[in-house]
Amino acid sequence: MHIDKFEDAIMNCRFCFMCRHLSPIGNVRFTEVDTPRVRAAMIYGLRTGTNSFDDEDFVAALYRQDLSACCRHHCVNHFDENGLALAVRADVVEAGKAPDAVKRLAAKFSRSSAWKVEGKGDLAWFLDESTASDKSAVAAAKKLFAAAKVSPKVITGGSIGKALKVLGYLPEAKAAAEKFAAFLREEGVKTLVVSNPAAVNALKQDYPGFGVKLPCEVKSLAGFVAQAKLKFAKSAGEVYALADDFIRNYQGCKCHENLLAQLKATCRPFGTNDEESYNCGEGAVVLDRLHPQLVKSLAEYVAARADDPKKDRLVVGSVYAKRALVKYGKLNAVTIEELTASCL
Amino acid sequence: MKVKPESYMFEMIRTELADAVGAANVDVKFADKFGHSIDYYWIPEMWHDRGRPCPQADFIVHPGSTEEVSKVMKIATQYRIPVVPWGGGSGSQGGALPVYGGIVLDMKRMNKYYGVDKESYTVRCQTGIIARHLEWNCNKEGFSTMHLPASISCATIGGFLAHRGTGVLSTKYGKIEDMVMSLEVVTPSGEIIRTLPVPRHASGPDLTMLFLGSEGTLGVITEVTLKVHPQPEAREFRAYIFKDFHTAMQAGATLMRSRLGPCAMRLYDETETKTHVSKVFGIDLDKGAYLVFGFDGRKDIVASQMKYAREIMERQFKGKDLGAKGGEWWWENKYKFFYPGYMFHVPQAFGTLDTVADFAHIEKVYWAMKNVVNKEFPDARFIGHFSHWYEWGCMLYARFIFPGDKVPPNEREAAALYNAVWDKAIRAAIANGGVINEHHGVGLKLGRYVKDLYGSAMPVLEGIKKQLDPNGIMNPGKLGFAGC
Repeated sequence: MHIDKFEDAIMNCRFCFMCRHLSPIGNVRFTEVDTPRVRAAMIYGLRTGTNSFDDEDFVAALYRQDLSACCRHHCVNHFDENGLALAVRADVVEAGKAPDAVKRLAAKFSRSSAWKVEGKGDLAWFLDESTASDKSAVAAAKKLFAAAKVSPKVITGGSIGKALKVLGYLPEAKAAAEKFAAFLREEGVKTLVVSNPAAVNALKQDYPGFGVKLPCEVKSLAGFVAQAKLKFAKSAGEVYALADDFIRNYQGCKCHENLLAQLKATCRPFGTNDEESYNCGEGAVVLDRLHPQLVKSLAEYVAARADDPKKDRLVVGSVYAKRALVKYGKLNAVTIEELTASCL
Repeated sequence: MKVKPESYMFEMIRTELADAVGAANVDVKFADKFGHSIDYYWIPEMWHDRGRPCPQADFIVHPGSTEEVSKVMKIATQYRIPVVPWGGGSGSQGGALPVYGGIVLDMKRMNKYYGVDKESYTVRCQTGIIARHLEWNCNKEGFSTMHLPASISCATIGGFLAHRGTGVLSTKYGKIEDMVMSLEVVTPSGEIIRTLPVPRHASGPDLTMLFLGSEGTLGVITEVTLKVHPQPEAREFRAYIFKDFHTAMQAGATLMRSRLGPCAMRLYDETETKTHVSKVFGIDLDKGAYLVFGFDGRKDIVASQMKYAREIMERQFKGKDLGAKGGEWWWENKYKFFYPGYMFHVPQAFGTLDTVADFAHIEKVYWAMKNVVNKEFPDARFIGHFSHWYEWGCMLYARFIFPGDKVPPNEREAAALYNAVWDKAIRAAIANGGVINEHHGVGLKLGRYVKDLYGSAMPVLEGIKKQLDPNGIMNPGKLGFAGC
């Protein structure tokens, strides 16, 4: 089973409470089953027969997970309960026990692998479906490319495999990754700039895991802009920067911090602490499609911790987070690219 | 009493509970109940490890207000259903396990924080708030509860109240019972009562103290007002290595008798210093006993306290000074001891023989427990540290550990071995002037010793229980009270 690769997490997390306070879903549902401890204990129970994938509620809990990885980030041992969660989803799928909603979503992403290209050159911008749905974010990105005096060709559409991986469909995710890599090769892309942190994570971490080699260097848009050393007409002023889970807990990347420093932003600490992820399920990529009510609860949890929910300017890493915080949390959130573009 | 799920009574009760707290806040699914069937007690952990199902509740109920708790209690009383309050579920004594089924009252939805009263330096909150979240909220306002136990990240403040918890700064700021101003409690019959608003009075016996440590057997604590403290200007630590545990104990006791008022002190015996402290700090402390202490408050006063404390440690007891750095190792790593890899773990068998005694008895208690464990259970290792110090004595955090291959493969034999260690060690502690226990509580694990401990006072305790909970529905089988 895929879970066997995460023996450390199974055996150590199953009775450990030390990251309980950071369980985003547990903190909004007030449940035990939505914590790393109980998930790991139930996964261990698969071996002894105490638990089984026939239990739809157990499987449902596995697909409720936010995948923020803040437990791994917090843990002194950095046990990868997040990796365990992805592995057990793959086992669920292989056992044919995926919930119907998951199957439908996976089918949609499996069918979707036709990319479109506009423009020329070996510099490309991958405009993923989530980012493309936000006109303001798209306009900001275009403004930033113009300021950097580059005109990348734009790749849109198609699944690159991240959602499929998160849902536990590993062969399909790998197939999507291979197709995308081949597509980039055909297009002669040497540098690929990517807006969505989840997509960056897929390309930088998932693809090597699948054994898929990319023909190009991958840069996040925030990182690309930070490297461009643009001149800004004004400073960003006072903002609350919410660390994106993919940036902080998955990749340990400082690109957002670097960019905020260039923008001379005065970053105020959000909430009561810097341990919680304050996420809306962006690590789970499609949590908003599977569990919109849960994403609403997560956003409301974040909003309840804002100093002044109506006035505070929140800077987030993805359109996913922005959309959730604006729609459900009624917060004034912008992506880091939008903030950057507004300072030009 | 189990309510059989196939019976229509199950649906009747579920409907009433849903009416009380909302259908979304009543869980009856196996997956939800599973999470409440294992706490931090070794027996259910071992039971699960061996593939044995642990006793489960019939209903997991998440009340959102005191009034909802009251409604649930009235339903439970009407149908004589056991009610087990559950906070973070991180207790090590089995106190929150639903061993007779019934209702687990998961309090975490009651997590409201009402803010710091900056005139009185108090804070009011519902008891389901996770203690770390409460502390973060207070910190944001420039204050601290100063209640910082290792379980702060998982336990609720209600859990600490229910079993008289202790944090690492207890030596200055006290145990949780020293921090409480007043409580709101729902009695087993559903009455909502408030204890007096201040803890110092001459208006009869203190009902606040009655409910603190009652482990959910007398009612449900739903709201608390706690003292808070401004964050100190300075907090400094210093550590020493003494030639042996006895010398270190004398040094520590002398510091307490000096009334210099450290905020924390901790002493590890030679074995724990060598095997555990060294591992957590990542340094080689091969010989001797490690003692750390600290002071906090105004910077100039802290400097003065530290100066006199150093004289005790260095001149009187010839401690080897590890400096401020040696003390900061502990403060920075104080929770690391409890993470997997540093904490003991199934398949090992382990337990904390939490005992407290005055200085006149504490070493006797230590040796009595150590000798009996070493003699009767040669496969077990005994280590100990002294983690909460008061003017009159301190707490012994003694632990026994069996390697996994020395624990019987049969779960019943494993449980019997485990219980035998407790029987021998706890009785040795009580016989030598020790009190079980200082901050973990009694729960299921130690209930059988309560009669020994209370002696002729036991009927008084039982009388209180009977008066408040005549139907015996509140957390049956815990704290030495009857099951159902």
